[in-house]
Amino acid sequence: MTNERIIMSTLRTENISKQYPGTLALDNVTATFESGQVHALLGKNGSGKSTMVKIFAGAIKATSGEVYLDDERLDFKNPQEAIDKGIATVYQELSLVPGMNVAENILLGRMPMRGKFIDWKKAYKQTKEILEDLGVDIDPKEMVMNLSMWQCQMIEIVKAMSTNPKVLMLDEPTSSLAQNETDLLFDMIKKLKKKDVIIIYISHRLQELWKIADTCTVLRDGVYINKTIMAETSHEQLIKMMFGDVKIKTRPDDLIVGEKTLLEVKELTRKGHFEDISFEVKEHEILGIAGMLGSGRTELLRGIFGADKVDEGKIIFEGKEIDKPTPHKMKKAGFALTPEDRKHEGLIQVLSVHTNLCVASLDYISPKHKITKKMEKPFVDKQIEDLEIKVPNVDLPISSLSGGNQQKVVVGNWLNTNPKIMFFDEPSRGIDVNAKQQIFDIIWEQSRKGVSSIMVSSELEELLEVCHRILIISNGKLIGEVKPEDITVEDLYKRCIGGK
Amino acid sequence: MNANCDNKYINKLSKFSKTHILELILFVVSIIIAFTAPGFFTSGNLLNILRNASLKGVIAFGMTMVIITGEIDLSVSSTVALSGVITGTVAGKLAELGIMPLEYSVIIGMIIAIAVAALVGLLNAIIHTKFNIPTFIITLAMLNVVYGLAAIISKGFPVTTFPSWYSKIGAGQLGSIPIPAIILLVVFFIVWMVMDYTKFGRSVYAVGGNRESARLSGINVKHIKIVVLVMVQVTAAIAGIMVSSQVMSGAHPFGKGWEMDVISSVIIGGASLTGGIGKVKGTFIGIIFLGVLLNGMTLLNINEYVQYVVRGGLILMAVLINTVQSRKAV
Repeated sequence: MTNERIIMSTLRTENISKQYPGTLALDNVTATFESGQVHALLGKNGSGKSTMVKIFAGAIKATSGEVYLDDERLDFKNPQEAIDKGIATVYQELSLVPGMNVAENILLGRMPMRGKFIDWKKAYKQTKEILEDLGVDIDPKEMVMNLSMWQCQMIEIVKAMSTNPKVLMLDEPTSSLAQNETDLLFDMIKKLKKKDVIIIYISHRLQELWKIADTCTVLRDGVYINKTIMAETSHEQLIKMMFGDVKIKTRPDDLIVGEKTLLEVKELTRKGHFEDISFEVKEHEILGIAGMLGSGRTELLRGIFGADKVDEGKIIFEGKEIDKPTPHKMKKAGFALTPEDRKHEGLIQVLSVHTNLCVASLDYISPKHKITKKMEKPFVDKQIEDLEIKVPNVDLPISSLSGGNQQKVVVGNWLNTNPKIMFFDEPSRGIDVNAKQQIFDIIWEQSRKGVSSIMVSSELEELLEVCHRILIISNGKLIGEVKPEDITVEDLYKRCIGGK
Repeated sequence: MNANCDNKYINKLSKFSKTHILELILFVVSIIIAFTAPGFFTSGNLLNILRNASLKGVIAFGMTMVIITGEIDLSVSSTVALSGVITGTVAGKLAELGIMPLEYSVIIGMIIAIAVAALVGLLNAIIHTKFNIPTFIITLAMLNVVYGLAAIISKGFPVTTFPSWYSKIGAGQLGSIPIPAIILLVVFFIVWMVMDYTKFGRSVYAVGGNRESARLSGINVKHIKIVVLVMVQVTAAIAGIMVSSQVMSGAHPFGKGWEMDVISSVIIGGASLTGGIGKVKGTFIGIIFLGVLLNGMTLLNINEYVQYVVRGGLILMAVLINTVQSRKAV
């Protein structure tokens, strides 16, 4: 009785393939997903998992093969048909309307009416019921813009669930959440399992899959590799399935921190974001900054780089104080920053890969006013080669690249300026393990050359792998400093959240 | 094998026509007009097209830079009036006071007119960068302010204190080429070089493509915006001088409504109002095409009201084609 699980519905694919010009994105994939479970769909960039999700969601059509939901063949012409059939998708980019309240967002397009007017009383009551049912404690009257990221993410899921779907697809729901927020989201997703819905969960964060997923379906280069029970699978096994044979490396031993102090930050304060922060960075050093989302870690990097104005404090670089930093000034001094939000702050989507690799370094490519594509080409080619950026043609728009390759372009754009110190804000967000490792290799290679780095990451184990030293920031205050060899991920995590 | 060759040729042609569909349509429309409009192919008419297109065309190149930056300047048409008025007024005053003869004082007048225009641009830019108010609003207000200033300075009457040589600028010819056309080509060449072959040009595209990314890449965004907003006003002043030269007078209604034609030719040339996209060469095509179209419709005796409908429809078509193409490219 206890072990008996009645499978209420299944989503399955039979030999689906998707042919794009030049690439076979999906190659004869047959897979099954049952209700009442969370199914992780895993694969590095280009593995075909997004293609599969898009086929389920009705955004694209398979070239061949069939998709069945409970023995009914699905053949969607557009996403609306998929929604009508009970397939709900929560995409990485949130789609809530910030200027509306929670109830309006959840019931968007189907608000209860009394005659020609909206029945607000009923709307709030209805929303409250839906929220309570899923154990979400958010006021239906709250404006969405006042909610934090993880709350928005929950509302998205509630919204999707409120249509009573048979299939719920979650695309990287935790990509912009801190660890404690992720846990809150997971509590909610676990409740959904009782709802007899097929949950397909896509994430790059391997570690969290054990917390949330029951099974894991792995795709590699468009081919179905395996479906495993999470509880019976190890981290290494999963990585092996995803990549064939790639190992996550730890920091090489030959990276020695130099004697000379390169950057000195003294009592830096930006009111409401961080206060009284002082630290030093030596030559060759890779410094990590650990902290929860909203702890002020991103703002600190931006403050030093001059992207936001700071209120008090000194920034001393190579023994000289830099007064009123601006990105322009800091670049000239030898600073570089790869921002957290690479799409909106790191890249220029309408321009080509070529141009995006030269935006920061125009002054380094040409000392005079004149600049030609020919002059830029060696700089572009160098980064394409050094960073192994995969692009068939550098004149293609940057948006045609995968996340990992886009991140490499952001980094390459700055490497062309020959920086002395680089700030990496969440360099591994939304990119696969392979690309992640390449980014870390770049950071290490820069250290070898004498370039220092400061790295901010939500994934604490990354900081332990990559950095020489880690600062812990909580609520805008510097609360500690650790060496990676002296601390475990669990302890570091505890210190990050315990500082409150 | 022959078929294969043909196929390749057709493929290439279809690819070309897909990416250059707007240019092709513009070309075909021009050809149709050229062969149906009576007297189109007379050298007098062709030069006339060039001369007329040159005035707004000069501003269109300045506007191309502004639009690629993701901004707009609606006040240029008032600057056209103001610069003619200022040139004439200054020239007249200096001559009247006996400081220098009209022949020379007009040069001082032109310099001051251009400087004032630059100042208007600077004011637009400073208000925009300091307070982050959209340039659309600022320049809409400035359109009225500058128009009013032109009327105040001229006291509402045309200023006609110009030396006779002044007419050469707008109406003269070098050999058989109208001087405005030469000015147009010079401005085209300068703006083209600046946009395609300088760091400044690269920065303009970067700022228009994504202001925040550009700023975080260490590009001085304010500086770029100030320069383009000043430059477009300078081009407007140059156009204003040419207009006043053609009619040997400067008056406040001159240039009224030009901003729309100027922006139209930039848009027809493929620039996007959201910024980051556009080509100086495209604007050149836009200017010439608009000139050919207007001239052709007049020669064909097409009703003036119908002309407006055709022009409007054309702008819509150009934007549609560009949008569909860029959507396909992504």
